[in-house]
Amino acid sequence: MAHRSFKLSRLSIPVLGLFWLAVTTLPFLFVVFTSMKTLQETYTNPVWALPESFSLDNYIRVIEGSYLTYLRNSAFVITISVILIVIVSSMAAYALARLKFRFNTALFGLIVAGMIVPLHVTLVPVYLMTRAMGLYDTLFALIGPYVATSLPVSIFILTEFMRQVPRELEEAALLDGCGPFKIFAKIFFPLSTPGISTVAIYNGIMLWNEFVFAYVLTSSPETRTLPLAVWEFQGQYAADIPTILAVVTLSTLPLIIVYAIGQERIVNGMMAGSLKG
Amino acid sequence: MTSITLNNVEKSFGKVTVLHDIDLMIEDGEFCVFLGPSGCGKSTLLRMIAGIETVTSGDLRIGGERMNDVLPSERRVAMVFQNYALYPHMSVYENMAFGLKQAKTPKDEIAKRVQIAAKTLQIEPLLERRPKELSGGQRQRVAIGRAIVRQPAVFLFDEPLSNLDAALRVHMRTEIANLHRDFPHASMIYVTHDQTEAMALADKIVLLRSGEDVLTKGSIAQSGSPLELYHRPKNRFVAGFLGSPSMNFLPVTLVNANTEGATVRLASGEIIDVPVDARTLSAGAPLTLGVRPEHMVPAPPGTDTQVIRKVVHSIENFGEHSYLYLSDTPDEPCIAKVADDVLETAEGPVAFRVRPSACHLFDANGDALPYLADATSRTFA
Repeated sequence: MAHRSFKLSRLSIPVLGLFWLAVTTLPFLFVVFTSMKTLQETYTNPVWALPESFSLDNYIRVIEGSYLTYLRNSAFVITISVILIVIVSSMAAYALARLKFRFNTALFGLIVAGMIVPLHVTLVPVYLMTRAMGLYDTLFALIGPYVATSLPVSIFILTEFMRQVPRELEEAALLDGCGPFKIFAKIFFPLSTPGISTVAIYNGIMLWNEFVFAYVLTSSPETRTLPLAVWEFQGQYAADIPTILAVVTLSTLPLIIVYAIGQERIVNGMMAGSLKG
Repeated sequence: MTSITLNNVEKSFGKVTVLHDIDLMIEDGEFCVFLGPSGCGKSTLLRMIAGIETVTSGDLRIGGERMNDVLPSERRVAMVFQNYALYPHMSVYENMAFGLKQAKTPKDEIAKRVQIAAKTLQIEPLLERRPKELSGGQRQRVAIGRAIVRQPAVFLFDEPLSNLDAALRVHMRTEIANLHRDFPHASMIYVTHDQTEAMALADKIVLLRSGEDVLTKGSIAQSGSPLELYHRPKNRFVAGFLGSPSMNFLPVTLVNANTEGATVRLASGEIIDVPVDARTLSAGAPLTLGVRPEHMVPAPPGTDTQVIRKVVHSIENFGEHSYLYLSDTPDEPCIAKVADDVLETAEGPVAFRVRPSACHLFDANGDALPYLADATSRTFA
């Protein structure tokens, strides 16, 4: 019996792995292949057929359109948002993890509770506030809500991370002449790099795909981000499926590149509980 | 001037008092060991001197200056932590230089000091490595190096050897003793629960007690030179804590007392003379006789005076010495440590001779009755 179950588990892991690979890759391959077909081909050839010639015409058409504006907007908004998220959440996490002050636990609870607030509930107030501040239809309109909605989960991750930093390191730094701010900057921030990478990459991916705020808070093509590009192109190219899928591929590509580079860090960050001093 | 003075120092966490009534003077250049059972607050006391813990009440002075509210970095102290507390993201060099950099020491001065410390500790080849690439002993050396470069007035060691294996521990113990020799003007305070380390290193041992007695008797059970504590314990706690195996305690009653000493009778009837002053007590007072296992010497046949007769229940031979287990009840262990291999003993009680000067008497409160002879003459008696 033991022998059989051993064989089963040996077999089942690669089989499940392959199955999962198929589930995740096939739609993506479908998108990439179809984006290289001509409109004609999509009607005449079978759905899963390879493109007759791997043509980049659709891509060129998209890039020559306003795609680059969207890309630039997305990059701008997300870079600034992620930098702000990392600075604010790491400082907050250090304070919550290590500084002693009244209502520390209560405050942490409140921040974490922020994770359960549905984003859509805040849409109307955020829209009205943005208008009132005169930021409507600018890129800066997105940064505020992006940072605010990302903070609870980021602070949660980093607080847990910083609680793992051995207390003696803090005390050694104290003896070495550091105050709370220097202890944060010289000890906790560098030691939390895996957690900070996780927060940066995780939020980067979430915000890259963010649609609702971008849709509500911006209106002109000059201020819109990539997720809206798909939306815009859908209107523009109506039923031109290959071109829309080229837009989809182009929007996903930066994410795939970032993930490929940062994958190890994301995984390490997710396993931060096993950190040993 | 790097003497450390504690006056009536107290520490409590909320309503729990951990340290009470600490009066202590550590001289310039002295090697002082805080010893005690776990939970007695010895590490807390050290951390209060370092400035990591606040002083609840009382005065802490270093070099005559009140330090209660001075920042840790300005107390001229350096600390070596139990688990080294090296910054994992910095190289050995950066670890050692970090404190000096914070103090805005010129770069070439930092480099010079780190090089000298690294040479003393033989860690020069390791300067570029990260802490995780080092062995336990090497990490400990780096931690000590980090303390040395700051040229502190006081070195604080918090159980620095407890994470090392037995052989390395003895080696590093010698190195710490050498460090004390190399920095004769720096005072050193060393926390340990290992009495061997304390006896080996200390100029002065401060033995702290834990439990309920702290509030009534104060945290310090006794402070003094290692031999003073060993040969002249002030109370049963000190007598029982130092020495391995622990001192044997036997119930006795006072027969008479005069200027020469006291005579007591064991429950089994033997009479023992002890050179202590018991004249304040009346005959028949219940007392406790303390005799260390190594001072219970098998008596030659026919010896009648100054003997304790006990049945040997079991024997452990270690080659260099043997333990004879003499207790009738497991709650009150009684052990004789004898020099010879003992393979078998008589079935009846065996007589052990005890020198009067090796005996201690404790009153009902657990306090030692005052000794009549001074410590040095007794040591060689």
